[in-house]
Amino acid sequence: MTFLYFDPAIGAMIVQAIVAAIAGVLLFSKNLLLKVKVFFGLAKSKEEDLFDDIEIEKSEIEKKDSSDS
Amino acid sequence: MTHKKAHPASFRDPSGFMFVEEGIVKRQINPIYFKQYQALKDSEFFNTLFKSNLLIPHEELSHSSEQIIIQPEQIPFITYPYEWCFNQYKEAALLTLKLQKYSLEKGFSLKDASAFNVTFHKGKAIFIDTLSFDFYIENSPWRAYKQFVSHFLGPLLMAHYHGAQSLKLMSNYIDGIPLNMIASMLPFKSKLNPFLYSNIHLLAKFEDKYHEDYKGESKVKSLSKKAQLNIIQSLYDFIKKLSLKEHSEWGNYYNKTNYSDAAFNLKSDIINNWISKLNVKTVIDVGGNDGTFVRRITSNLEQALVCDIDNNAVDYNYKTIKENKERFMLPFVLDVLNPSASIGFNNEERTSFIERITKYQPDITLALAVIHHMSLSENVTFEMSAQFFAKFSKHLIIEFPKREDSWVQRLLNNKADFKDYFGFYNIENFEKAYTNYFEIIEKKPIENSERVMYLLKTKHYKNY
Repeated sequence: MTFLYFDPAIGAMIVQAIVAAIAGVLLFSKNLLLKVKVFFGLAKSKEEDLFDDIEIEKSEIEKKDSSDS
Repeated sequence: MTHKKAHPASFRDPSGFMFVEEGIVKRQINPIYFKQYQALKDSEFFNTLFKSNLLIPHEELSHSSEQIIIQPEQIPFITYPYEWCFNQYKEAALLTLKLQKYSLEKGFSLKDASAFNVTFHKGKAIFIDTLSFDFYIENSPWRAYKQFVSHFLGPLLMAHYHGAQSLKLMSNYIDGIPLNMIASMLPFKSKLNPFLYSNIHLLAKFEDKYHEDYKGESKVKSLSKKAQLNIIQSLYDFIKKLSLKEHSEWGNYYNKTNYSDAAFNLKSDIINNWISKLNVKTVIDVGGNDGTFVRRITSNLEQALVCDIDNNAVDYNYKTIKENKERFMLPFVLDVLNPSASIGFNNEERTSFIERITKYQPDITLALAVIHHMSLSENVTFEMSAQFFAKFSKHLIIEFPKREDSWVQRLLNNKADFKDYFGFYNIENFEKAYTNYFEIIEKKPIENSERVMYLLKTKHYKNY
């Protein structure tokens, strides 16, 4: 990026290292918890969600192909 | 080469600008953005996003060494973040994160994350700023992270803790709610949540600490792509789960009205009959609640705008739209007594509701069960409401509850000692005021109720 046309947000750039570290720990423990729950058969069946998953290529396009054909 | 006048909202990004030519919105791309544009085009990046309905599709009209002109698919009616219900807002936030994740995987990055880059089209959120994608620089943090928090995460959190009406704050804070304000308005317990502590409180602290670094001496730390993806994923997971604390009661709203089933069906039949006769394609339902009456219209509509003051009713409508996969309905939050104003630089960046709806010119306006609220709760005279409704469409279907109607009685009783001031509220005065602006084409009482339906046509309708 060679130019900036809004607030440089330096603090926000620096803090991301910490935010990411915390996010990493949270995601890791969430996955671990899920695995433990699955192991003990406690994981809930997936509810019908209003919104999809973050992945674009897997969810959206497949859906599109099947619905439009 | 003619000089094109940039749209007043399109000045922030030097990569190009939007302009309107013979009523068609187009976009000019400047040489500074050619490399990025070409890469996005060649790598099928654009195409994938078009196919998945996440980015507004465009076609290239011309290509020279000075400029590239593209024409995006036209969006008939733009809604702004401060007009969205909670779940619309949420979807816009998730869309932005989805795009950032996809961008990172393909070697790009969103250079901004403004909520105004998203609008609603064909029943879902769509990204409309085609020039927001830039090359990803290895190990650099996300430039738009702060903007994402102040445009999306912050407002959604405020709505979660303080109610959906706080989403209206965006009409004042056009570049996002200030971080320190968000931080100060979250409850203390939010500091104990590691996600909220880092994304809100710590961020606000860091921004405060470094915002006076004019010389740019502070070194920005590098951040691996994996780490950035962790931030994006955790934001996505958190926002996806976020909900409102208040409960929507609109689900059974119609059970609480003073309609018998027969009267309800009759009202719907009258509307249907008139709409099919007039060959209506576009509708705005003012005070349309959860879209019930629009959903009962049997003619084929191109688009129906359904607005209501109640964020929960709009939210309920939006969920129904998602579940039914409806494409023609566009719900939004609007207070008729204070419709969205024009805001931004020169008061021109975001246009007012009146300006947008006048330009959109729906074939017909529905005002069902609204007039008594406007007249009796808000003291808007018949003359004023007639003038308002005559502004934007040729026809108006309006429902008039007579003085004897139980709702009207309730509203009048609320006035207590001032009840006598509202002697004007009767059908004769209503017709007298409305016929100054409209001619009455048809008038039908709803049997077994104290309500009358009118089909009106504006007298001095201007074709814009």
